[in-house]
Amino acid sequence: MSAILAENVTKRYGELAAVDDVSFEIPAGQIVALLGPNGAGKTTTIEMLTGFITPTGGRVRVLDTEPRHGGRAWRASVGLVMQSTSLDADLTVRALVSLFAQPYPDPLGVDQVLELVGLTAEGNTKVGVLSGGQRRRVDVAIGIVGRPRVLFLDEPTTGLDPEARRQAWAGIENLTATGTTILLTTHYIEEADHLADRIIVIAGGQVITDTTPHELRTRAGASTIRYELASAASAADLPASLAGHLEADRRTVLIHTADVTGQLDELVRWASAHQLDLGGLEVGPPSLEDAYLSVINEPLASKEDSHV
Amino acid sequence: MSEPTGRPSLPNVATLLSGQVRYQFRLLMSTPSALIIGVGFPVVLLVTSDARHAHVAVATVAGYSVFGLTMTAFNTHGVRLVAARESGILKRWRATPLPRWCYFLGRLVTVAIFATMVGAITVLVAAAFYGLHLTAAAALGVLITFLLGASAWAAAATVLSSLVPRVEVASPAFIAAYFPVILISGALGQISSEPRWLVDIADCLPAKPLIDAVAGALTHASGGIALPGKDIAVLAIWAVAGLIAAAATFRWEPRRPAQHRDARTRRQVKTA
Repeated sequence: MSAILAENVTKRYGELAAVDDVSFEIPAGQIVALLGPNGAGKTTTIEMLTGFITPTGGRVRVLDTEPRHGGRAWRASVGLVMQSTSLDADLTVRALVSLFAQPYPDPLGVDQVLELVGLTAEGNTKVGVLSGGQRRRVDVAIGIVGRPRVLFLDEPTTGLDPEARRQAWAGIENLTATGTTILLTTHYIEEADHLADRIIVIAGGQVITDTTPHELRTRAGASTIRYELASAASAADLPASLAGHLEADRRTVLIHTADVTGQLDELVRWASAHQLDLGGLEVGPPSLEDAYLSVINEPLASKEDSHV
Repeated sequence: MSEPTGRPSLPNVATLLSGQVRYQFRLLMSTPSALIIGVGFPVVLLVTSDARHAHVAVATVAGYSVFGLTMTAFNTHGVRLVAARESGILKRWRATPLPRWCYFLGRLVTVAIFATMVGAITVLVAAAFYGLHLTAAAALGVLITFLLGASAWAAAATVLSSLVPRVEVASPAFIAAYFPVILISGALGQISSEPRWLVDIADCLPAKPLIDAVAGALTHASGGIALPGKDIAVLAIWAVAGLIAAAATFRWEPRRPAQHRDARTRRQVKTA
């Protein structure tokens, strides 16, 4: 049994298809990132999977239950961290998390939850005086306090500083150690890369690709070779094959290539011939961000063409 | 539909309901405006209008206490409910295994008790400082009437809250609905030479019957609890009808931008 299933799901608002024939299946224990630009249909998809919206067409199942008809026991097994909500400012963090733990049959201890989200020191602080990032962590705490089997995280780290984001990631990783299935939406490519076993890219309400971070990266094809010319070197000395990769500053050679060995060989031979040091040379894998941008731009471009 | 099994049983609803009442009560008590509006205004009115008199009129106490009670049960409750919905607090609760009726009822029960307390404070001030004769039977009659009236007004506010699209317009909307009703009820003083048709309308709305029932409980309860049947019946009808309508129309989620977008799209299609 898959933990999450979407089959040919569509949600229309009048003429607008917010989600258009989306299908995917997520087995138990997997972390999946739903990536896409603003308005891609990520939140609408999450809201259908959590029962807040009824699909116009298709079928959604979470823990083998249609979310719209999920009872108390089903809701106790599903956690949700919504994109933007308010919290009761006059309660302390501890009181608020305790309150939201009440309806669950087997909630995590409040101290444990606060530790997971990095809010142990703020337990007795009123929510109203917390920073935006700390409030977001309270959101996450409320989402996980019920020990969910399936957790939906709608942009869980938006607004967090890098350190807080990494703490949140650690908390999410801890949850997966207990077998929790997680579907998260995010704008942060590095977040998806760090956390997810699998990435579903959605744009214009449609699934553009459904793959692993590694596969997505390799789709970008080209690895990157970056070399900043040593002070003794002149751009004019570069052979034509390398000079074509000079950046606008005329000092940086940036090569996107599938033939890393061949390009490096040429660069090394040129440096040897001119007795130049290659210190600072960088050779990197294909960028996930480049891969993501290329896959979301392709369908958008083709759609625009088709509208002309 | 299959439900997950093998987990500890869900908490019983009585525990959850009492937890919700405590939670809502705590929030209300930490809202200074709720106390200022519900208690401060009526007591100031009492002081300014009757400070010169040794004995305050029963009708005056009934009117001012109902004014504080209804401001709390209708305006404070309604505006807070809109704010909670539009900020996503209701939606957050809906995502939990808390039964929906438990949250809904928790809010209504809390505000009914809180508004009753607010009205009772005005009556107690009148009894303590302005010579209002208050027997135990009268006090009990007044409390019962207050609870029924607060339930009716809170249910009406819940219905109206679902019609208010944004928190910015909540306060004006509730005030606009509230003041005509409370003014023709005579809570803040009788309007001279009211036309008969206006009196007939006021008799059917939940303010004047509430004032008359409270005045009746204060006046005629020397031997036992005596509540005017017709007024109580009007309040009961408002409470029951209000609860049914509130349950039927209750909205958990903020109005979606997509709904506006949808409406625009439809208009464009129609125009085209």
